[in-house]
Amino acid sequence: MSDTATTARSADVVLETEGLTKQFGGLTALEHVDLAVERGELHAIIGPNGAGKTTLFNTITGALDPTAGTVWFDGEDVTEMAQEKRPHRGLARSFQSNQLFADLSVLENVRIVVQTARSGRFGLDLLGNGRAKYRDAAFEYLERVGLDGERTTLAKNLSHGDQRRLGIAISLATDPSVLLLDEPTSGMGPTETQETADMIDELQQDLDLTVLLIEHDMDIVLSMSDRITVLNQGEVLATDSPGAIQENEDVQNAYLGGMREEL
Amino acid sequence: MSGDASQTESTQRLRDALADGRLEQWRVPLGLLALVVFLRPVIGHEFLLNYPPFANTILVWMLFAASFNVLLGYTGLLSFGHGMFLGFGAYGAAIGLTRFDLPFTVSAVIGLAVAAVVAYLIGRIIAQRGEIYFAMLTLAFAKAAHFIANQNYGGLTGGSTGIVGVLPSWIETERGVKYVAAGGFQFDWYYLLGAVFVLAALAIWQIARSPFGRSLVAVRENEELARAVGIDDKRYKIWSFTFSGVFAALAGVLYAINNQGSSLSTLTVETSGDIILMTVLGGANYFFGPLAGVFVWLFSEEFLIEFETLVLPLAEYPLVRIELGGLLSYWQFFLGLLFVISVLVAPREGLWGLFRSGIGGLYDRVRGVRE
Repeated sequence: MSDTATTARSADVVLETEGLTKQFGGLTALEHVDLAVERGELHAIIGPNGAGKTTLFNTITGALDPTAGTVWFDGEDVTEMAQEKRPHRGLARSFQSNQLFADLSVLENVRIVVQTARSGRFGLDLLGNGRAKYRDAAFEYLERVGLDGERTTLAKNLSHGDQRRLGIAISLATDPSVLLLDEPTSGMGPTETQETADMIDELQQDLDLTVLLIEHDMDIVLSMSDRITVLNQGEVLATDSPGAIQENEDVQNAYLGGMREEL
Repeated sequence: MSGDASQTESTQRLRDALADGRLEQWRVPLGLLALVVFLRPVIGHEFLLNYPPFANTILVWMLFAASFNVLLGYTGLLSFGHGMFLGFGAYGAAIGLTRFDLPFTVSAVIGLAVAAVVAYLIGRIIAQRGEIYFAMLTLAFAKAAHFIANQNYGGLTGGSTGIVGVLPSWIETERGVKYVAAGGFQFDWYYLLGAVFVLAALAIWQIARSPFGRSLVAVRENEELARAVGIDDKRYKIWSFTFSGVFAALAGVLYAINNQGSSLSTLTVETSGDIILMTVLGGANYFFGPLAGVFVWLFSEEFLIEFETLVLPLAEYPLVRIELGGLLSYWQFFLGLLFVISVLVAPREGLWGLFRSGIGGLYDRVRGVRE
């Protein structure tokens, strides 16, 4: 059954969810979410707190098992695939909170990930000096996010903004085709936010990435996105171009309007 | 200004070298050699323990601690039952020798193989459990091993007395000191033990610094992130548990020669607990940490027991009527206090971390290097 379904998928859609549902006990975090991310686009997910954005990321990447529904990646049903296999297929994520290898150097944080990407999810590679392998490749990722000057600093000693950047470098080091970024600018000031947005833009061009982005800063979202999906209480309210989303009455009522009033 | 630039550049190069382990490449092998060369004279010195063979016991425990640290230090897994694997090695060697008349090396290899298989299987069962379940399950398996050995099924394990008075044919004992007798040569057992110790410790160190070992460290640092970037944390844990078990069993094989057999004490919770305490006391973050912990622990134990029994002529001086012996009999209390302090201050640093930061601070002050 899945074979015929696989070939029926549009070639332009690289990541797709179908009826994706996640319940925590009695709470429904995601309710029948249909999402199609096209190859090469920057697709933003917006929605108020508790809308289920991060849960959506967790179920797509396999950190959480969905209660119901299907996740398609590159034409393949990956719903049941072990989480640690997915990065090797090209599906990577960054975390909302700073998830790092805290007591390791900045370079080693990225180097371990390069090693994993190049030698597989498990290997009994017992020879040689691990820390010397793939250093140059890791260093290039640090240069991309502007952390090359901090290579020997311990990850835990970085500033908040630099930790966010290291998080992005780590997810890039898995050599993804689709990158899920969970609020890459959270906790940053306006200047830093803009710098990070520019960096993501540049990375997307250079590395030929498809980006699925959770972001709170509306200016960033509206200026960067090709398409936007609005989540509200676990349900998709709308998926459209930034212009159309701004015009959408449902969205205005549920989200944008409410947010403007708050401001 | 260019002087400043080259200063910072050379500092950076030094940091790089420290960071990627290039210096370690020489430091650890040389350190291990120095340890084996100097341990015995130090231990045997008349002002200290005055008993050179105690260095043998220390080396066996050091290897046991180094094996345990593959789990605790490098993978971040706390096992409460690691004595089980020490027991597999010791019993394996002793059982093969006495019950099946096998050559010692064959029995030893069988012991190691059994340890490897059991460690792998137990690892498979418990690797993915949460921290507390992992600790409890290792404890439960170790208890089961202790029970089985104590029951003496088929007369294999000798029950509570263990298997005593067993030695390989190529070991000779003269006035309490063991010698290796091979091909007309006779040399102190310490040298063979020391050679095996250095090779095994180097193997553990190589595992830890290899790409495999770095993945273990990633799992230790952040399991969730490790999985998210594509590291199969479960399999790394299983293999870490297996390697750790095999090297602990090797320590057990050496134990069997050193103690002329295997005793039930290897399988007790006390043994498993002691190795945790020694490792943490020394510093799980460092390769040499657990070795330092073993040294401090066993040396204090031995030294202070000696001290207690010495007839100190203090009573002859009426002004200094200090009951030092009574105070020192609380050595375990003081060691425990040291342990508690080191855990509270920095749980993974231990005495070796303290020592290193002391040296590092001194070095920085001399060089004028500023962070």
